[in-house]
Amino acid sequence: MKIPFFIKNIFETKTEGEESWGKVETAGNELKKDVYGKLGRSLFIRLVDSGSCNACENELSALSNPYYDLERFGLKFVASPKHADILFITGCMTRNMLNPVLNAYNNIPEPKFVVTIGDCAGESSIFRESYAVMGPVSKRLSVVMHIDGCPPEPKTIISSLISLFRK
Amino acid sequence: MDESAEKGFEEEIIGKNELRDKTNGIIYGGGYLLGVVALDNLLMSKDRFEIKYFFVSGRRIKSLAFLPGDSFPSLSDICPSAKLYEREIADMFGIMPLNHPDLKPLMLFPENWDAAVHPLRKDYGGVKCIGPDFKRYGEYKYKKVYGDGIFEVPVGPIHAGIIESGHFRFSLRGEPILQLEIRHFWKHRGVEKLCEGKSLSEALKIVSRISGDNSVNITLAYLTAAERILGINVPQKVKHIRVIFAELERLWNNVRDIGFIFMDIGFNLWAQNLFVVLEDILRMNKSVTSHRYMFDIFRIGGISDTAYIDGAKAGDIAGLLEKVKDELKKAEKIVLNSPSVTDRIELAGKINKKTAQELSLCGVCARASGLKRDTRIEIPYLLYGENIKIEPAAFEEGDVFARTRMRIKDAFESIKIITSLCRSLPGLLPEAETAADKEAADAASNTIAAGIFRAGGREAIGNAETSRGNAFFYISTDGEGKIYRLKYIDPSFRNWPAIQYGILGDIIADFPLVNKSMNLSYAGNDL
Repeated sequence: MKIPFFIKNIFETKTEGEESWGKVETAGNELKKDVYGKLGRSLFIRLVDSGSCNACENELSALSNPYYDLERFGLKFVASPKHADILFITGCMTRNMLNPVLNAYNNIPEPKFVVTIGDCAGESSIFRESYAVMGPVSKRLSVVMHIDGCPPEPKTIISSLISLFRK
Repeated sequence: MDESAEKGFEEEIIGKNELRDKTNGIIYGGGYLLGVVALDNLLMSKDRFEIKYFFVSGRRIKSLAFLPGDSFPSLSDICPSAKLYEREIADMFGIMPLNHPDLKPLMLFPENWDAAVHPLRKDYGGVKCIGPDFKRYGEYKYKKVYGDGIFEVPVGPIHAGIIESGHFRFSLRGEPILQLEIRHFWKHRGVEKLCEGKSLSEALKIVSRISGDNSVNITLAYLTAAERILGINVPQKVKHIRVIFAELERLWNNVRDIGFIFMDIGFNLWAQNLFVVLEDILRMNKSVTSHRYMFDIFRIGGISDTAYIDGAKAGDIAGLLEKVKDELKKAEKIVLNSPSVTDRIELAGKINKKTAQELSLCGVCARASGLKRDTRIEIPYLLYGENIKIEPAAFEEGDVFARTRMRIKDAFESIKIITSLCRSLPGLLPEAETAADKEAADAASNTIAAGIFRAGGREAIGNAETSRGNAFFYISTDGEGKIYRLKYIDPSFRNWPAIQYGILGDIIADFPLVNKSMNLSYAGNDL
């Protein structure tokens, strides 16, 4: 494989000419200001899926793609709840996931916040009537913010996080 | 129309003692197990329980139906893929498979659920049976490997990255994996029970949220069954548009999965390149169907208004696909030509053809192990088999390399299909006709829905090929047209056990790679 082929691909801006690009950049920089100012330069997020359909996870991983690249604004998804400041919960909180979710929550050091992502995790979940579902999440944990959408788009998630820190 | 075309399968009523012989006959004749469905006929005034085994045999679907009473013979020795279905039936209905080698609870964890609870029985009230005190009923017993220097590595249910929940337990001695036990169903939502008592169109919303990234194809499998029950023939252009969306979804899934494979071998640059392509496709999905994952774009007998494709939209799609094709060609070049990539993915996670056969694998996993299984060819639906001919393709090796190449091939195939359909679409779509057509279709489906249900209900099955393999629906309705029993079998349900064999002898660092190369769904599996 020739080197120029890679170099070209590294420096070729994939996201150029994108209309909403400017908006993400502005929104992200606002978020960065909040994260740097109020949380000492970093906000670590732990995601737990409590029974979603995987669309919310897809949107959250989309936050790390070159279009959004959340990490450059000081936000990072971490592997252990012990490193986390915020717990993101997606899904309708099934009976089988209830204990793992509570364990993850208990392992996050204070101060900690719970943010629920997507309609399933909220009051209007279409699965709430099921025998296997113990949701909504707010019945079990105190939730500081709920992000609507089925699934919420990456832009919505970023702007909702901004509004969370403006509270 | 004869009975089997109406339902989508041929049924043979047998005695439960004949089951093993008949199954042997079908398997030796080259057939394989597609799914097992149990029913509780309590409200239908027939014998209480009924079990149907569905096989693909030749180009048809054959079902063996029998009345099990409270137990039935296990098929796990002659047809290992039946193992999980039998455990599921024991959980959900309390009908016991005799001589089953591993009859642990599957979906209802012994820690959380009373063993006497069987939610899919009709006399189960659907009450959340766990009190506020969270009583612990029992303990799940993992398979254990004994010996000097053996250690266990438990992973999950909560994983390190942004992925779904599931538990994996490795037993190792030194580096090589001696055994992997997968324990899933953490995300069991009770989808099947939830759909009971709803009308066919009400359940559509739930069905499209079974597994978010295969929403379109799963919904198509459901619609095939539902439209068979209602006796609706969808117009040609609706079929046309449905295939475009189905292939579009297969395409973005494959792009993402190839990206994940690059990511897991540490080749982040190409992973990110493909994720950019993925985001482009998702944004286009949004502009065409008003939803990034194309949820709720179908209704029974048609397409919802927001997702109707006109000539301009078709042009947009075809335009973007040119770019996708370029990027995929570059990716293919790298997969085939860079030793640093092939070194990592060749021979990893090898699933032999015999294993694939015994486990009745489907989709990419089957095709990468030398089995030419593709629902679009075997059990054609929509335009497949009519206007669209797909060449059966397979790779023999069964490793990550084969699965990667299979995915690239699938992606090119999808691009070819979408492009040709987009080109022929404007000719099919006189736009003035759209609204009137829709009304006519609506009126027809309403009258049909009102008049068709004879006492005792109807039943039908539906199949579709998702990016992971065959999605299977069995639906039966009661006399009022409400769903009496809905059974969904996800391709992941069939394919998950294959990892337990594919990973043996590999190292733990290969596991994410093997896992991502198959990229199975947890949500669809757990239901």
